[in-house]
Amino acid sequence: MSELTTNLAQLVQVGVGGRVSHPGQSGSYSISYDDRPTMLPGMAGVTSNIRVGDSVFAFACDHGEPGVSAEGLVEREHLAIQVLACVGNRVTMTSGEAKGAVGTVVGKHAYVLIDFPGVDLMRITPGDGLVVRAWGQGLLLTEFPQVAVRNCGPELLSRLGCEPAPDGRLRVPVVATLPAELMGAGLGMSAEWANCDVMLHASETVSNLGLSGLRIGDVVGMADQDHRFARGYAPGWTAVGVLAHAMGPTPGHGVGVVTILTAPNECLELNRAPERNLRDLLEIPL
Amino acid sequence: MNSEGRELVQTLLLGEVTSPELETSVYEVDSEGRAFVPIGCGGVRYNVKVGMSAFGWAADQVQPGASIANPVAAANRALSTYSCVGNRVRVRSGNAAGAVGLVTGKHERFGGFQQVLIDLPQQALELLAPRDRVVVEAVGRGLVVDAVPTVSLHSLSPRLWQSWSPRASEGKLFVRVAQSIPGRTVGIGSGRISATTSISIQTPKQALDREPQLLRLRLGDMVAISDWDAAYNTGYRKGSSLIGVVVHGSSRIAGHGVGLTILMSGRGDSLVPELDPDANLVSILGIQDHIVG
Repeated sequence: MSELTTNLAQLVQVGVGGRVSHPGQSGSYSISYDDRPTMLPGMAGVTSNIRVGDSVFAFACDHGEPGVSAEGLVEREHLAIQVLACVGNRVTMTSGEAKGAVGTVVGKHAYVLIDFPGVDLMRITPGDGLVVRAWGQGLLLTEFPQVAVRNCGPELLSRLGCEPAPDGRLRVPVVATLPAELMGAGLGMSAEWANCDVMLHASETVSNLGLSGLRIGDVVGMADQDHRFARGYAPGWTAVGVLAHAMGPTPGHGVGVVTILTAPNECLELNRAPERNLRDLLEIPL
Repeated sequence: MNSEGRELVQTLLLGEVTSPELETSVYEVDSEGRAFVPIGCGGVRYNVKVGMSAFGWAADQVQPGASIANPVAAANRALSTYSCVGNRVRVRSGNAAGAVGLVTGKHERFGGFQQVLIDLPQQALELLAPRDRVVVEAVGRGLVVDAVPTVSLHSLSPRLWQSWSPRASEGKLFVRVAQSIPGRTVGIGSGRISATTSISIQTPKQALDREPQLLRLRLGDMVAISDWDAAYNTGYRKGSSLIGVVVHGSSRIAGHGVGLTILMSGRGDSLVPELDPDANLVSILGIQDHIVG
């Protein structure tokens, strides 16, 4: 497979500092899809038993984030780490018991989501410092200028398995394609910010669409979506993303998908592949 | 049935006329990557009225009439939750003091503001100024339709219920709407609290090619959304439907669009929309001096 030509040589690598977040609680119930008040863990902190590669449906959680959820120290720094961190970027712990441990950005939610080897996850503590070697925003595909790249680290782009199709489109392997009517909270926000929830609450919908096997870290397609300048519905466009967190029970929410590519259908073709998960693509150790 | 307004509590809520606000970079970016300066939200709009088109304004998410909010966050949540479309409002300070109008909708901007939108006679609007105090005689929260318990009501005043006159029959509620719209067009506003939020109908060019009737939407139109639910929070639910009122104009920002305040949500086929081009707040409430476009 030939390498895609890019402007990689022009990209700037920035060390962006942050820290491991701590969970917060409003103390209020949120009402689930089956109309029950719920109060569940899942967001922020260190979650050692939700990992990239796990089923998005496996946990009693609210937007269950895998591994470490990192934040900036103040609001402006948080915006910077949110926007600049790209999937595949390398992260190093700078303080705490796991100082020196190396992890990988695997997604974004309200936090930057980072996977570390299990032995390190057991030692990382809220408040510990870390630095993201951030690069990827500004990435261009020289031969596919209409395919916009967002949040895709060069580490991931080269391993996505994209290739030119005979008809000249960029062919991207994905495990599934999500229909536009399931796209929920996250529409209308910049693709560089957090992710978009996919409303996978009804088990009948999930099984009818063949989505029961979805895992955190899966590469998926999104039909009728243009995510170049904020995420939105646009028939004739396609987006590609990575599943970033497990289910949230509230209607309008669900499984988060971080955008990595978006293009008109004339320029991008989705190709169904049985396995396309960050755990294998980025060779992330357990 | 307490849908006649019995048993409901009337609460007086305080808001102040808002003033437009902008981010540090004054530009927004549209779905094609073009920068523009947004105008239309906050303060007083002298020439945008309920009944006029939701499209064609050199503006973004333009609000008709005036918008109010309470500067105390918790009090503003109450103002934004308890105010119901059709509630009477009175101006209590400033040059327009004494003027009487009504609530036409509620507009929530994620990470931004929650505002209640009000209609006032033109002569009062001309005298109104940001920070003027306005009280809402809020009544409607708690309204239920005894004959159709699977329908949830939000932000619906007894006055609007009576004038709109939905018909309950055989366990279903038949409701007049100007349009019925597929749920796949719903954008920002998903996953929010139904009693407070507004939801957006996305109308980029590619969507209007598929659903050209959306261009006929007017401010104040009653519209149904299929495969969408808002019993508590807003979200996709196959087979359910909701009915809302158009409260603000279209947007060029991806994922945004024409805004709706939610009035009803029904599980299964309990809500039956009936198309009626006159299903607009101006006709239903008989708002004086406004013409439905």
